[in-house]
Amino acid sequence: MNAEAAESSIQPAIQVQGVSKSFMQSGTPLAVLKGVDFYASDGELVSVIGPSGCGKSTLLNIIAGLDQPSEGSISLNGRVEERRLGEVGYMQQRDLLMPWRSVLDNAIIGLELQGVSKSEAHARARALLEEFGLTGFENEYPHALSGGMRQRAAFLRTVLADQEVFLLDEPFGALDALTRSQIQEWLLGMWRRVQKTIVLVTHDVDEAIFLSDRVYVMSSRPGRMKLVQVIDLARPRHAEMVTQPRFVELKAQLLASVRSEVTDV
Amino acid sequence: MSSNRPRVGVLGMIKGFSFSWLPSLLIILALLALWEGYVRIFDVQKWLLPSPVVIAATLVESAALLSRHAWVTLVEVLVGFGLALASGVALASMIAFSRTLERAIYPFVIASQTIPIIAVAPLLLIWIGYGLAPKVIVVALIAFFPIVVNMVDGLKSADPDMVSLMRTLGANRRDIFMKVQFPSSLPFLFSGTKIAMTFSVIGAVIGEWVGSSAGLGYLMIRSKPQFLTERVFAAIVVLSAMGILLFLFVGLVERLVIPWWHTERRKRALENSG
Ligand SMILES: Nc1ncnc2c1ncn2[C@@H]1O[C@H](COP(=O)(O)OP(=O)(O)OP(=O)(O)O)[C@@H](O)[C@H]1O
Ligand SMILES: [Mg+2]
Repeated sequence: MNAEAAESSIQPAIQVQGVSKSFMQSGTPLAVLKGVDFYASDGELVSVIGPSGCGKSTLLNIIAGLDQPSEGSISLNGRVEERRLGEVGYMQQRDLLMPWRSVLDNAIIGLELQGVSKSEAHARARALLEEFGLTGFENEYPHALSGGMRQRAAFLRTVLADQEVFLLDEPFGALDALTRSQIQEWLLGMWRRVQKTIVLVTHDVDEAIFLSDRVYVMSSRPGRMKLVQVIDLARPRHAEMVTQPRFVELKAQLLASVRSEVTDV
Repeated sequence: MSSNRPRVGVLGMIKGFSFSWLPSLLIILALLALWEGYVRIFDVQKWLLPSPVVIAATLVESAALLSRHAWVTLVEVLVGFGLALASGVALASMIAFSRTLERAIYPFVIASQTIPIIAVAPLLLIWIGYGLAPKVIVVALIAFFPIVVNMVDGLKSADPDMVSLMRTLGANRRDIFMKVQFPSSLPFLFSGTKIAMTFSVIGAVIGEWVGSSAGLGYLMIRSKPQFLTERVFAAIVVLSAMGILLFLFVGLVERLVIPWWHTERRKRALENSG
């Protein structure tokens, strides 16, 4: 999917229009987002990169419906939605696995809330254990899992809840480089299979290019979108692609854009 | 690291056990020996201070009497504690569920602890008479406070990000309470429960002192004017044994109900130690 397709009559899965947000901090308003325009088409994988504190998590919070914008609107599938809670899957940076639930019971929490019976929910989770590399760990408590496994368990929870859109806030931030690149390829496979719209926030330019259809670069606070770059690399993507000339070229462009922001801070 | 493994193995557990219990056992034995020696050397009268050997003999001789009265006290403790647990959990849930309820209820919860229980107990006697009820009420009045306070803190300790996660999954207030706040509060609830359990034993004795015809507290009060000091001590031994066993029982229930808490805590301790 690319920019032209989104301009056609098909409505984007998410559309953020003119969103501003300010918080009161010790009595004075702090402008965090200022006029953010953003969209993600159905089935698209879009990344957002930007300097720390520019409002990336704030933007995801607003899209998910945990927070409301001070100005602007959010549309889901072409309709302005004020109540978005429950409509959008949101995986925060911390895995937020509940220490009192087994891996399997953590994974089915979304289904449980949807009223799916426990045995049915367990069956659906078990069917995916292998693919998520969690076989044999389903009855463990989360503390027994490695960082990468915890992340995959949190993913499984998100996938099972089966909302149309997944927002992922730096899901690989806590992982070492090797685990990270493995889980990136794995995520791509997963994404192709479930055909969801994914919005990914990351600090890592390589990761953004490797995974995405388009990459947004945010300015430093107050955040707005300063650049959108279509990533015209072929799919499926492979780890070797990071040395291709086009990849290097895209990376140079995006890095220049991000760096000019970081020095401003 | 696999090289850390043996530290939590069987050997480590035995080591941990002896290290945690051996010192207190040695101190108790030393104190008892000192006590016995003092009584023998200075030939202290039995009614003034009975020696450990005399107390032990009384425990054996009066086993039937002691266990009859211990049973009465145990029932008061358990019923009063059960009442405290039920009302404590209910009150804490209400307080944590709504700000308005918190403002309405919490002042009374705190005020209830400023009332001198010794002063109220005789009134309870006048109002409800002898028997089980006034003792149960005294026990419950003392024991519910640590339960409420700890559980309110526990319910409020729920991770706000976890609550956010639940909301994005479409959870309502009740779901969030049942599936996040309540489980988060359990370690706190058990801390409060351990305190409440020991308070309950004290509460039952106070209730019996004020007016009763049975129970270990009653036995103490009756034995003192008869100069049966060894029996007073025997009752104290039974009472503290009861308190310790009840405390350990709560710990056991805790391990069964929230096994994740102990493994999590041990993992954190290991991480911190290296
Ligand atoms: N609820 C809030 N109340 C007050 N200030 C807030 C609130 N949430 C966020 N902020 C502020 O808004 C700014 C942006 O925060 P946000 O978490 O969105 O940044 P971010 O781009 O996700 O940063 P990072 O890359 O470090 O995760 C920060 O300065 C933060 O202090
Ligand atoms: Mg963030």
